Amino acid sequence: MSQPSEPPVDAPAVTAVPLPEVKLAATAGKKQNKKKVEEVVEEEEEEYVVEKVLDRRVMKGKVEYLLKWKGFSDEDNTWEPEDNLDCPDLIAEFLQSQKAAHEAGGKRKPESEPEGAGAGAGAGAGAAAEESRPKKRKDEPEKLRGFARGLDPERIIGATDSSGELMFLMKWKNSDEADLVPAKEANVKCPQVVISFYEERLTWHSYPTEEEEKKEDKN
Amino acid sequence: MPTANVTDARMTKFKNKGKEPSKLRERRIAVCVELRKAQRSESILKKRNISSLPDDEALSPEYATDNKEVISIAIEEIICNVNSNSKEQQTRGCQAARKLLSRERNPPLKEIIDAGLLARFVDFLGRDDDPTLQFEAAWALTNIASGTSWHTQQVVENGAVPAFITLLGSPMLHISEQAVWALGNIAGDGPAYRDALIACNVIPALLARLTPDAPVGYLRNLTWTLSNLCRNKNPFPPLSAVQQVLPSLVQLLHLGDKDVLSDACWAISYLTDGSNDRIDVVVKTGIVPRVVALMEFEELSVLTPALRSMGNIVSGSDQQTQVAIDAGVLSVLPRLLRHPKPSVQKEAAWAVSNIAAGPCQQIQQLITCGLLPPLIDLLRNGDFKTQREAVWAITNYTSGGTVDQVVQLVQSGGLEAILDLLHIKDAKTILVILDAINNMFLAATKLGETEKLCLLVEEVGGLERIEQLQNHENDAVYRTAQELIEKYFNEDVEDECFKTEATERDFVFKPAEVDKQFNF
Repeated sequence: MSQPSEPPVDAPAVTAVPLPEVKLAATAGKKQNKKKVEEVVEEEEEEYVVEKVLDRRVMKGKVEYLLKWKGFSDEDNTWEPEDNLDCPDLIAEFLQSQKAAHEAGGKRKPESEPEGAGAGAGAGAGAAAEESRPKKRKDEPEKLRGFARGLDPERIIGATDSSGELMFLMKWKNSDEADLVPAKEANVKCPQVVISFYEERLTWHSYPTEEEEKKEDKN
Repeated sequence: MPTANVTDARMTKFKNKGKEPSKLRERRIAVCVELRKAQRSESILKKRNISSLPDDEALSPEYATDNKEVISIAIEEIICNVNSNSKEQQTRGCQAARKLLSRERNPPLKEIIDAGLLARFVDFLGRDDDPTLQFEAAWALTNIASGTSWHTQQVVENGAVPAFITLLGSPMLHISEQAVWALGNIAGDGPAYRDALIACNVIPALLARLTPDAPVGYLRNLTWTLSNLCRNKNPFPPLSAVQQVLPSLVQLLHLGDKDVLSDACWAISYLTDGSNDRIDVVVKTGIVPRVVALMEFEELSVLTPALRSMGNIVSGSDQQTQVAIDAGVLSVLPRLLRHPKPSVQKEAAWAVSNIAAGPCQQIQQLITCGLLPPLIDLLRNGDFKTQREAVWAITNYTSGGTVDQVVQLVQSGGLEAILDLLHIKDAKTILVILDAINNMFLAATKLGETEKLCLLVEEVGGLERIEQLQNHENDAVYRTAQELIEKYFNEDVEDECFKTEATERDFVFKPAEVDKQFNF
């Protein structure tokens, strides 16, 4: 196993001699060692140059690095025990890049949503109900209702507060179409009409004593 | 029973007294029916734009039909009117077109375009002498621009944009508002028109209309249009435009109206959906605390974009994430992780996963603010998409966390929860889980407790699952599973029935224990 005394700065040599076949025997630890020794014996003059350190792992308590070999394709990358290596610069470079990658955080940006250009308004392009629509059609009719119709109130024929606000059903003069007006508005615009409505619906509750008196009188 | 005949006449004047119950009931029912009819016709009128004003009654039966012939006759009449020289006729024609275009079903956009009416409508936009005409034309064009890209293109190519920008300054608020709306539709078409509008200086013109006394309806339209100017990627809006809009967006985000808040928040979400320098521009406005506050709203229309914005912000740098943490995001996230809506859970989990991808100090804050329990609950009970995000959170956590923090995660049930997910179909997620398990073993290695962790994994049925994964169809999955087994579970290769009787022993990694002491 030869080793140059002063390895070139950018191409450190490795003492062990790996061959592509070695990586296939990954699961058979013992076999791997045997093969290596054989290779070394047979080809002890050849050295292989590490191009780059790609990854790191711990196998049975030992640190190993995944190496890219100069002049070989990525298919020939192999895991080598740390002790076999003499390329501290490449290892340091790898560890530094790991640190940087981790600082970038492993953050995941939002999923790209397919922003449909020109999504039709009414079509509702399958977006989530809360998504803001890219386009909106104006449907709202500028329809006049209630007092805005400019008609004269005739009579209130009903009342309701199901909308949360007290509303009167107003019959207008010269129209068969009654509609709802807010009580607040009617109280101001046609108070007499409102009063008539309430007066019609006044009820008197009689007291027991009064009744008894009446009966006695009759008798 | 003596009947009081004298009082009968007076009695008839009272509403209820002296009347027969059946008659009273009849009358009550009649009034109720009238009320219901009135409410029903009110809501129908809102939907169908069938006006019952005397001058429109002649037209309404026609316009309610889908009959192509009827429509084309109507359009011919419109063309006639619109091309006349009389203001009244022009307005009548324009209004008729507007009504066709605002009806609920199948508004005849293409027919109106094919009739060559757009050019006239754009002319009408400039008729300051006749605001009604301007308004009807603006409305008609708005609705055409609300269609497909082709429809919007027709509007733009007829020169509507400069005319609408000018109309923004109309003294009539409803006309200005209509212009805002139309421009919103054009901007919303995509980045090309958005940038074209920006190049026409639409932003200063819009911002000039943002006054404190603007009515809320106007503000809503304005905010929505501004949000469309922030919308879309490939490319993003020009940075200069973003910087112009941001101060006003910040203002809008502090108002009370929910619709304004919602659209302003959507704008923020678009602006933060990008590279970290885009996020920076937003974060520097100091808006983050307000976004956190908006995440506490009940209304989904506000909550959703606020959560999305926050998720975007914490997908940025560690510093940007720290701004979010300092603003209190970790105190509102637990509730959102437990939100009844799965999409909210998912987005909250995604945000947590990105916070967990930060330095251990930020991971510590996750722990302190109680995010682990709800996160682990989601692993167990969330829907698949949510579980996937939660898995990422766990893996990121185990990758950046200190040994102590990883131990805490295991003790909180994190390991068991992810092991239970190994049966899922999605190979990518399985790989992420295996990554997390690997990281946990790395921590165990540092503590010298790998055996104990192995036992724990085995106990909860995890070993079986991992072993099964060795038969997975996906390359990376079975290789990773194999490596895992080899590294940690095959100390004695020969003995396949290796089992310990270590149930009595006190494990660091046993989740049931509250006690956090280590055994070394």
